[in-house]
Amino acid sequence: DTSDWACEYCPFQQGHEGDYEVGASSVSDDSAYFGNATGYDEEGAYGNLDGEGSYASGAYRMVWTVEDLGLDSRVAELEGSHAGKFDYNIGFRQLPYRQFITTSSIFAEAADALFLPNGWVRAPTTDGFTQLGSSLVSRNIESDRNIYTIGGRYLAGSRFSFSLDYRRQENDGTKIQGGSTFTNASLLPMPFEYVTDEVDFAVRYGADNAFVALSWYLSDFQNDNTALFWEQPFTGAPGADTLAQAQAPESRFQQVTLAGGYSLPELRTVMNLSASMGQITQDTELLPYTINPNLATDPLPRSSLDAEVDTTNFAASITSRIFRKGRIKFSYRYDKRDNKTTQDTWNRVIVDTFPDAGEELNVPYSFERSYLSLSGDYDLFDMLRVSAGYDRRDVDRDFQEVASQSEDTGWGRLRIRPGSGFDIDLRGGASKRDVDNYDEAFAIATGQNPLMRKYHLAYRYREFGEATVSWSPAATPISVSLTGLFADDEYTRSELGLTDADEVSVALDLGWSVTESTSVYLNTAYDTLESTQLGSESFAEPDWRADNEDEFTTIGAGFNIREIGERFDLQLDYMRSEGTSKINLDSAADAPAQFPDLETTLDYLRVRLGFRQSERIEWNLYALYQTFETEDWALEGVTPDALPLLLSLGATPYDEEQVIVGIGFRYQMGAKSGE
Amino acid sequence: GGQEGPDYSREGADTCLSCHEDASTLAIFRTKHAVPSDPRGPFGHGQLQCEACHGPGGEHAGRVRRGQERPAIPYFHPAGTATVEEENGQCLGCHNSGVGFGWHAGEHPVDEVACADCHQMHIARDPVLQTATQPAVCFDCHQAQRTETRKAFAHPFSQGKMDCTGCHSPHGDQVATSLVRQTVNDTCQQCHAEQRGPYLWEHAPVSEDCTLCHSPHGSNHPGMLAKRAPLLCQSCHSQFGHPSIPYGPDELVTGTPSRFLLGQSCLNCHSQVHGSNHPSGSKLMR
Repeated sequence: DTSDWACEYCPFQQGHEGDYEVGASSVSDDSAYFGNATGYDEEGAYGNLDGEGSYASGAYRMVWTVEDLGLDSRVAELEGSHAGKFDYNIGFRQLPYRQFITTSSIFAEAADALFLPNGWVRAPTTDGFTQLGSSLVSRNIESDRNIYTIGGRYLAGSRFSFSLDYRRQENDGTKIQGGSTFTNASLLPMPFEYVTDEVDFAVRYGADNAFVALSWYLSDFQNDNTALFWEQPFTGAPGADTLAQAQAPESRFQQVTLAGGYSLPELRTVMNLSASMGQITQDTELLPYTINPNLATDPLPRSSLDAEVDTTNFAASITSRIFRKGRIKFSYRYDKRDNKTTQDTWNRVIVDTFPDAGEELNVPYSFERSYLSLSGDYDLFDMLRVSAGYDRRDVDRDFQEVASQSEDTGWGRLRIRPGSGFDIDLRGGASKRDVDNYDEAFAIATGQNPLMRKYHLAYRYREFGEATVSWSPAATPISVSLTGLFADDEYTRSELGLTDADEVSVALDLGWSVTESTSVYLNTAYDTLESTQLGSESFAEPDWRADNEDEFTTIGAGFNIREIGERFDLQLDYMRSEGTSKINLDSAADAPAQFPDLETTLDYLRVRLGFRQSERIEWNLYALYQTFETEDWALEGVTPDALPLLLSLGATPYDEEQVIVGIGFRYQMGAKSGE
Repeated sequence: GGQEGPDYSREGADTCLSCHEDASTLAIFRTKHAVPSDPRGPFGHGQLQCEACHGPGGEHAGRVRRGQERPAIPYFHPAGTATVEEENGQCLGCHNSGVGFGWHAGEHPVDEVACADCHQMHIARDPVLQTATQPAVCFDCHQAQRTETRKAFAHPFSQGKMDCTGCHSPHGDQVATSLVRQTVNDTCQQCHAEQRGPYLWEHAPVSEDCTLCHSPHGSNHPGMLAKRAPLLCQSCHSQFGHPSIPYGPDELVTGTPSRFLLGQSCLNCHSQVHGSNHPSGSKLMR
């Protein structure tokens, strides 16, 4: 009789337990790259608090985490529950984004405006900026994202549940934004301050063989600044001393989803359905055609866009194991973006300099996509499973060169388990994407070369394959996994644009638990992306060709030894990643030329030594050495005045090195598991 | 006579704990699975405790003759004979209404992924449920994605500040690549809502699919772009004049520097590449 089992020896948690670590660390150098997401962006000393704790009393339970409290990447999260009745969560995360600390700017900054320094002398080119040297001020390109979350779920009996989750993201800082006129441009340190509120509400009914859920999602984007104004540092058109561009408009997305599932256990079949309807609206007040007082313009056709995009999503699937040794799966998906924004005639002023003689209609893009998939697998023998499938994807668009396209994909797969811990997985297939008609007249009307085939609209033939061999012998704590994949895309009907793209990726993983307390690992990978594109400088037949080749190699290795002399733990992790991008250009007008390689090199070495002073007290010593270097011709030597017609921010390629050493004092509170 | 039921141990968890008293086993009592006042949980009143998941342990806990190998517990034991589907069935016995339906619709069961391949029950904080440690669990199988996240420009997975489930739903869904929202763009715009528009002047591929230009797991190129500008832009733009001109290495700062190539390249001027809400912004310059 199991009904009266009571566990006398079960060490159920009662009360508070926790592990908390107070730490201090020293950072050797300023770094944008290594400060990104971590908060270790400045040289100096940092104090920190990490930890996790829990509290249990009867059916109540709370768990919490604090992480990096002393850094700009701090996290504090709490979850609680009453078993079988409700649960809730509340949290805060800060995510620093650090892009450049090598940048400098002449502009003084307000919330939505950038001002030239006093005494600035305008000139037609940067070499005439006599005040530049004395006006440049260091201006980091960085931002901070604060994420607040709160949510809960209430269980009404065993079948119904209600959940409500709210998330607020506040993202503010400075980003690089180009600001141009007809002949020149400035890279601006644009201040921004975005807020996004999200709400998820769901009612769910779940039984053993069925569920139904009705949910509502809201995403509300807020931006108090409709425009960025900046004073033009170049000599400009009369009246165009101050320019303006629109900032990201406020918008709201709401979506209602009804989903359900039903299982037929006797037929070993599960069916799922999901239908969503959504709407995006945007009604931010429009800026005038120009703020140049010297230019007379027509009134705007309307003062705000009053944009409305309706979305529809539908999905259905049936998965059945009606055959003992096989499985069949059917799925269908439909997505629609219906941009109902009214079209109007607009009279553009070209970069605040002169009115365009023509009129333009705004183009509200819409599309429909459907995706049908049918697949099956069958255990031919105990050691061999064969699978095959067919997919079809249809896309219809309006206001684009291709109104309708379809893609058919066929694939097969073998999974072989010959024993002794080997698992071999081979898959491959091919797809053909075809278009009903690439409308060259439409392309010409939008100024395109009629021979251009945009790669997402073009005819494409793709072959792809993947092979994985893994070995995990039962008797030996070793695991080995080797994976390789490729995709070969041919755009054989494209005379201009992307004509060929190949991807190859290989990865090897080794893991070995040498003893119960010692483990080592090694992983390494290589991938390459190659593509060829053709262009036409003469606006006729192809007369230039560019070959891109991105290569990437990474290796990671390390070990973890626990309980050395019963009191010490030692962990080491090393990683190196190298990226190289080669671009060759071959044009009819010039001799073939190769760009200098774009290179990225990242090294990371981390060592941690733990010492258990007592059952509750532990010390951690750690050291981290990391370097990041790039070779980037787009930034190399591009000082603020390096280009006559571009005032840049002077960002330089990364050349960063950072050493972090730290110590942590860890204390365990409350009972230990097992006590 | 009636049929005999499964052969359970004599005293449930007390029987198990008489041998399995190591800290890693006992850590189950720091998890939601071991709350005695939860009537639905394995340790609730009348439930089967350890054997709720591991299966009947009568044989495993019974006496064995000298030299005889002790029979393995049926489920979740290295020497157990249960299939992945059978072990997953143990989990779905309770979690079916929560994750089971999506699970069957997704790709993981096709690959015979076991719940226990990703989840650890006997640990107070399951690594796959923690942002900092989750990616390493996923990357055990998704090696190509791990490779991409190690590229120089990637979301902050390596820093432990972003997890895979921010975008993907591992228990399966009916969205391609199991995204948490209905489309790629809906998913990206959870955090990047400023790119949503709808703009007065839309950039067609932006409205359709962010991944037409961006590699969301990581790239050798800043902004996680699939390729360097201006060549990325020139894959689609062939208008007469500067969009169709090949910009070569003689236009770097060592030669005659070109504003079409250096700095932000096309974005030096066409900075509103995600769309513009300016009445004069049709060329994405305002």
